[in-house]
Amino acid sequence: MPAITLTGVAKSYGGGEHAVRNLDLTVPDGAFMCLLGPSGCGKTTTLRMIAGLEQPTAGTIAVGDRVLDSVERGLYVPPEKRGMGLVFQNYALWPHLSVRDNVEFGLRMRKVPAVERRARAEAALKMVHVDAAMDRYPSQLSGGQQQRVALARMLAVNPSVLLLDEPLSNLDARLRLEMRAELKRIHEESGATIVFVTHDQLEALTMATDVAVMNEGELQQVAAPMDMYDRPANRFVAEFVGSPPMAIVDVGPSPAGLAGSLLRFAESRVPGSLEGAQCSPTAVGIRPEALRLGPPPGATWCEEAVVEAVLPAGSSWTVRLRVLDTELYAVSYTPVEAAPGDVVTCWTERMHLFGADGARLSAWDGAASPAKGAVA
Amino acid sequence: MAVVTKAETPPRPPRSRRLLYRLRVLRHDPTAALGLILVVVLGYLVVAPLVAVLSDAFRLQYGDDVHAGQAAGEWTGYYLWRVFRSQISGLLFWQPLLNTLVVALGTVLFALVLGGGMAWLVTRTNVPGRKWLAGALVVPYMLPSWTFSLAWLTLFKNERAGGQVGFLQAQGVHTPDWLAYGALPIIVTLGLHYYPFVLLLVGNALRRIDAQLVDSARILGAPQRTVVRRIVIPLMLPALSSAVLLVVGRVLGTFGTPYVLGLPADFRVLSTGLFQSIRDRSTGVASVLATVIVVIGVVIVLADTRMTREHRRFVTVGGKGGMDRLSDLRRVRWPAFALGLVVFGVSVLVPVLTLLLSTVTRTPLDLSTFTLDYWLAERLPGAVGFPHGVFRGSELWAAAWNSLRIVGLASVICAVAGLLVGYVVVRGTAPRVAFFLRQVSFLPYLVPGIAFAAASLSLFAVARGPIPALYGTTFLLILVMAVTHLPYSSRSGIAAMTQLGREPEEAAQIAGAPWFQRMGRIIFPIQKGALVTGIVLPFISGLKELSIVVMLTTTGTELLTTLSIGLVDYGYTQLANAVVLVIALVSFTMTYLTQRLTKSSLASGLGG
Repeated sequence: MPAITLTGVAKSYGGGEHAVRNLDLTVPDGAFMCLLGPSGCGKTTTLRMIAGLEQPTAGTIAVGDRVLDSVERGLYVPPEKRGMGLVFQNYALWPHLSVRDNVEFGLRMRKVPAVERRARAEAALKMVHVDAAMDRYPSQLSGGQQQRVALARMLAVNPSVLLLDEPLSNLDARLRLEMRAELKRIHEESGATIVFVTHDQLEALTMATDVAVMNEGELQQVAAPMDMYDRPANRFVAEFVGSPPMAIVDVGPSPAGLAGSLLRFAESRVPGSLEGAQCSPTAVGIRPEALRLGPPPGATWCEEAVVEAVLPAGSSWTVRLRVLDTELYAVSYTPVEAAPGDVVTCWTERMHLFGADGARLSAWDGAASPAKGAVA
Repeated sequence: MAVVTKAETPPRPPRSRRLLYRLRVLRHDPTAALGLILVVVLGYLVVAPLVAVLSDAFRLQYGDDVHAGQAAGEWTGYYLWRVFRSQISGLLFWQPLLNTLVVALGTVLFALVLGGGMAWLVTRTNVPGRKWLAGALVVPYMLPSWTFSLAWLTLFKNERAGGQVGFLQAQGVHTPDWLAYGALPIIVTLGLHYYPFVLLLVGNALRRIDAQLVDSARILGAPQRTVVRRIVIPLMLPALSSAVLLVVGRVLGTFGTPYVLGLPADFRVLSTGLFQSIRDRSTGVASVLATVIVVIGVVIVLADTRMTREHRRFVTVGGKGGMDRLSDLRRVRWPAFALGLVVFGVSVLVPVLTLLLSTVTRTPLDLSTFTLDYWLAERLPGAVGFPHGVFRGSELWAAAWNSLRIVGLASVICAVAGLLVGYVVVRGTAPRVAFFLRQVSFLPYLVPGIAFAAASLSLFAVARGPIPALYGTTFLLILVMAVTHLPYSSRSGIAAMTQLGREPEEAAQIAGAPWFQRMGRIIFPIQKGALVTGIVLPFISGLKELSIVVMLTTTGTELLTTLSIGLVDYGYTQLANAVVLVIALVSFTMTYLTQRLTKSSLASGLGG
């Protein structure tokens, strides 16, 4: 299975705004790569460029050692000759063809004999559990079924590269959960390289082997899901990945208040890491689930906090706190006894420090390595 | 872990490289090529005729060199002088212009009163048989516009023009010229044809007015009359002004009615004046007249778009259903229904029955002289030019076959071209090409049909470069007819393709289908319905079309409409009426069936 390489890829419309600027990205062989970002960040454009439906204004796109686009060398392979699979956000099933004909279409184009075509289409539909609806038309299917047919249509031709453009966004919550597991299974069974576009960070974290976060046409970070969660490269990634998002407190000119307290603590624990940084930290971030309530277990940062509201959500409790005149959210997975107005102690073992340009400088992780305490 | 810091503008490959890449892409994507072909073809068929007619207006024609004192082919203001300032300019231009204005104004008033009143009746009141009336009152629009003028002649014709006199005259009642010919009959017959147009536009607007707007005014204490004056009428203004301008535009380009009812009394309008000039071979004058008609047409449509845009600023169309509460007519319910029936009777039954009866009686409408000779006779004594019943001989069948073939082909070309324009516009690979196509395919909408036909004559009457002279060929008829209907088909093509979006084709592309397969297996099959309506609507309107074709047909390419007008010229009233009835029957049946089968509304086919 091939790796997909994008080198210096840029896309601008009419010379002005760049939808994608100077993108270098490698999707490793057999990976399940999620392109994650807010809407308009260029992730769908990137996917469509890989598919060949849109053309870069600069750069090279290759699969394995086959160059598909190279503006510099004047090379271009049209989408119909790229042999990839693509599932559209709205599925784009052909309304005038039955489910079977939809799935067989790609095989027909590859001049597969009728008997084999039939068998392969049926196998693909069986794989996504819609073989019972084989002779119906797309308009007679539910959204979830249409989605599966779109998948089957893609899988029937057995492509080595699968591209999916927010395929789950039009499904209800339950179906989405089911399809996530399904896609993960398909990835494992087919061994194909998958590029999956989504704006839902949870979807990215649960399914992907690699996540690439984009914003405003630029790549922010590429990492394995949990690495990205634990070590976001910058403020944007830190705030975008994780729900509820990381609270980031700006230090400001006077080192008083919450930010000052956090910063002084970090400096006292890991002096080396801060001096080594090119610039001094200007913001400190804490993930809500890292902020705990109750007596601190030892050498951690702790402060007094006033409980403002407790929001139970079944399996978790979100608590709004006021700490040194700053609002913070804490998420607890054990029942919270406190009531609004109570004064409690909150503590954390993990915090992230950000520089003036937004890049993450370092983190302090008391739980991971208590001896050293710093993780860059 | 790749971390990219903000890059400045990414480096661009050299221009030549980008161009090479672009060419490679274009080689695999025929959309751009298709777009360019459409640009060239439409440019030639739409823009070139207009340029040609303009240049003919300012260039001295052969044969005029002695009068003008210039050599043929030179630039000249001679025709401008002749049309606007010379001794005969009154005859050539000013009188026809005045007549056109009178007719337009009269028709608009007539249509507004009748159409507006009927619109109110069928949308806002509890008149009995509302649904049926709403359908029945639109029927006049499905008949050829000059059906009414032939019926008028059958009733009111006097001895002035020669040939058989009308019903009243035959009964011994003398019909004065002002009743038989000229402004009054033209206004009435055109008004009868165009009031459904007003009815549809105003009816739609009335239906869409938000009840909440009216209710708020009521709650604030406004009496009924104030509500109508301050709320309803202002909200109706865009629809009203649109209806007015469009009817004026149509009247400007209409030919059949003023020809039949105006010419015998020397009552000329711009369209018949243009026709006369072309028939007299005074090309220069005809070109000036055509240009004037084009300019007026353009001004009208631009004014309309401008006004609708102005109005859109303050007209809020509420999301919640329209005014569903209907005015209770109480005691006048049935009289109102009777009024509706009278309008239907006068605009449909009377003309159609008059025509029908006239074709089966020797003396108009005198049943004691009943005969089927005009339909079936082997020989008709006295009719030298057409010596047999319309169903005998080859003329009607040949004309019907011509109509079918020419209008049919034109409609197919038109629908396919419209869909392709939509395809290129929606694919969006070439934004500038798409913009040009949108504009140019809409351009014929601005130009009244008869002026466009004159313009096409200017361009295609003589061989130009590799393109031979096309005058007298079916090919020219097909082209001109297709082009004049293009605005409607390209609009519906763009709408259909926009609704479909790019994804279905892209999905086929990803699945490995080359372009022709994508068109043949995906795009056209999906757009089958749109394609069929795109063919049928221009077909129906083309079948009734006279203004466009009257200058372009020759002996070999007679259509049903021109055959009928030819019979009027001969003075064979019954035969002409019979042919018009055939056209009316065919076009009504087709419209009705289309509405039934495709559930498309007539309003979308208002192009006719």
